[in-house]
Amino acid sequence: MTRHLLKLVWNRKRSNVLIAVEILLSFIVLVGVTTLAVFYVDNYRKPLGYDVENIWTISIEQHAAGRTSLTVESGPDDAAAPRAPVDRGYVGQRARIAQLMMALQDMPEVQAVAAAVVTPYSSTTMNSDIEVNGRHHRYGMSEATDDFAGAMGLEVMGGRWFSREDDGAVWKPVVVNERLAREMFPDKDPVGQFVTEDEPGPRRESRMRIVGVIREFRKDGEYAAPENFLFTRNRLDDPNVEAAPPRELVIRVRPGTTAAFEERAVTRLRDAEPEWTFQAEPLVQSRETSQRLWLAPLSAAAIISMFLLVMVAMGLTGVLWLHVTQRTREIGLRRAKGATVINIQRQLVGEVVVLTSIACIVGVAIIVQFPLLDVFSVVSPMVYGISVAISLVCIYALSLACAWMPARMASGVAPAEALRYE
Amino acid sequence: MLQSYLKLAWKVLWRRKFFTAISLFGICFTLVVLMVASSVLDHLFAPQAPEVRQDRTLGMFRARMTGERSTSTSMPGYMLIDRYARNLAGVERVAVFAMPQTVYSYKDGQRIKSLIKRTDADYWRVLDFQFLEGGPFTDQDVANGAFVAVINATTRDRFFGGPPAVGRTFEADGLRFRVIGVVPDVGVLRLVANGDIYAPLTTSKTDSYKRELMGGFGGLLLAKSTADFFAIKTELESRIRTVPLPVKDFTKLIAPAESLFDFVAGNLFSGRNEDRSHPERLWAVIVAAMLLFSLLPAVNLVNLNMSRIMERASEIGVRKAFGASSRTLVGQFVVENLVLTLIGGAAGFVLSALVLRALTASGLVPYAHFTLNYRVFGYGLGLALFFGLLSGVYPAWRMSRLHPVQALKGAAR
Repeated sequence: MTRHLLKLVWNRKRSNVLIAVEILLSFIVLVGVTTLAVFYVDNYRKPLGYDVENIWTISIEQHAAGRTSLTVESGPDDAAAPRAPVDRGYVGQRARIAQLMMALQDMPEVQAVAAAVVTPYSSTTMNSDIEVNGRHHRYGMSEATDDFAGAMGLEVMGGRWFSREDDGAVWKPVVVNERLAREMFPDKDPVGQFVTEDEPGPRRESRMRIVGVIREFRKDGEYAAPENFLFTRNRLDDPNVEAAPPRELVIRVRPGTTAAFEERAVTRLRDAEPEWTFQAEPLVQSRETSQRLWLAPLSAAAIISMFLLVMVAMGLTGVLWLHVTQRTREIGLRRAKGATVINIQRQLVGEVVVLTSIACIVGVAIIVQFPLLDVFSVVSPMVYGISVAISLVCIYALSLACAWMPARMASGVAPAEALRYE
Repeated sequence: MLQSYLKLAWKVLWRRKFFTAISLFGICFTLVVLMVASSVLDHLFAPQAPEVRQDRTLGMFRARMTGERSTSTSMPGYMLIDRYARNLAGVERVAVFAMPQTVYSYKDGQRIKSLIKRTDADYWRVLDFQFLEGGPFTDQDVANGAFVAVINATTRDRFFGGPPAVGRTFEADGLRFRVIGVVPDVGVLRLVANGDIYAPLTTSKTDSYKRELMGGFGGLLLAKSTADFFAIKTELESRIRTVPLPVKDFTKLIAPAESLFDFVAGNLFSGRNEDRSHPERLWAVIVAAMLLFSLLPAVNLVNLNMSRIMERASEIGVRKAFGASSRTLVGQFVVENLVLTLIGGAAGFVLSALVLRALTASGLVPYAHFTLNYRVFGYGLGLALFFGLLSGVYPAWRMSRLHPVQALKGAAR
């Protein structure tokens, strides 16, 4: 049966090749869009790691002329040669930030105040790379104060968050998320392990030690792929003149606090530091803004591809319909020789299935090339597999739907009338 | 002759309404997507008001310090532009502006979030804002650090509920400004001209920016003519090479004068240690994306037309039998396709205008005003015409060379 269908398809290869190309292109478009959608859904289901309700973030800008840089990339080693520390006034700034935090703490609505370098949903990103037992691990990172875990509602799974205990440590205490801990130490308890920052050259003193493991911290929010994350401790009373102070404040307020709190908090900060600029935002609102940015490309792609598919569906129906009208005589002959309506319909739909299958086989062959181009570093093979499966189902459904109407029409051919033209 | 072709084309299109609808839908939809995409690009880059002198303007938008191991990329600092980009031969004026900063005002318990852009007085001379009220601040205002501001129409509505605003004061970021001018809204994606509040540079809370080499500022160099661009770029480049670098790790600094498009292309496509921007690569990506997108509708159109021509084999046969030449037959099909494409084009044009209006009204991009790009519309229509002719005329031509008897039998294979 299949072989017979293949032969029929082959006999009309000139017009069939175009149909196959059309199905192939639609399939590729569909895979692109579903991959993005499945990727988002898959990410959305995973835990975020922090609370969003009842939290405000306030960023501090110290230069009235705006942020000092768009992006700063640095290689694995910023300072190969030993040099004198540069005093940029960080110690003083740190003390002033500590003052601001105390001023906020005095407000009745405030439950906890913490400071960090990178906060959820912000566009600031810090990335680094570390080598443990010969394997490289990439991670996003932030620096945070001792109160950060409490203010953000982070879930500590093992060990502890930073505290005064770390004050005298000769190592650099770090907290990692479970994913990074598992990746670095698959068969050991990560708490208490030393990891050394990949710094060739003389500055080897920065030995990091994992003091705690948190469940998760997905800085970019629900739709981003979960990634490795590492926190280092930022002390506001740090005597190191070179460590930049954290410029983002995180405030947990009592449930039921209204927006009026924000004005009072910002006014209080402005009064304390008239030279600085403060930007307050409820984390719920940052989430909304960030989600809109994530969803915009998906909705644009979805709308465009939906129209594309409608167009293809209409075109395909039209073309198949024309083919049926051209083949009236052939169909009439088969009917005269005793083929039933079902037989005819089966043949026509079968031909379309064969064509779709050819297109899909070629499509899948093309599609599997993409992961080789390093897509899997972001999208997991499972997500990719599911999207290809969904696309296959959709494309078969589409082509069958397009074949159905012409096939019904063909089966309505009366043998006598069809043969009259012969 | 042409009249009868047109009449025929009209009749043929009406005879098979379903197929006409599919073709029109395809042409129309493809054009709409191309138009919207190009309108967004226009909104980002094209010389729209107030950047009317864009053909004579070079910008300074990026500075990069590189060392053996590290790279630091940012906007240029105030000092870099102020000290090294002034008095270049062929440059009429230099304007400096700070990257906009989000500032908050609280009015009756409501928060008003605005972008404040601090600029010098030349900014108003390089750009051509059409003032709704009042005028720009002057060199004197900038020198004195006067707390005066130009605001856009939306900000006027937010603070004062409508005109007149000049002379009234408002608070932003704990500072009190007096309004001296009101300008129309500029799309928030227009890096050079966007802003809710424009204030003198000297109203910054500190003057530390004056000593900074990197970060936070953009420069606009208004050349006397486009012909001077090369000389200006070269001179600036050689001056930047003499800048003493403050951090030892860095050995090289670049801060080119370039168009906004070059800047974006440079951000996207230049390697870490490549100084040159690659606008042609960004162009290639944009054109490739548009062509790739048009591929599916094109295949659809070709497919449909190829199949339909078979349907008309007997018609061609009859005409041939009565002595029509191949050329006349092809002529008829050309006219048919032209009519179809033009109707589709007209529908696409109207629909694009509606979609763009809806997009503007949706406020998805604050203040953006999306307009039709006629050039891209022409290209899109040309593309549709090309595929229409290819798919309609080629089979018709083949068919027209068939023997009339065969054609009459409908035996075209």
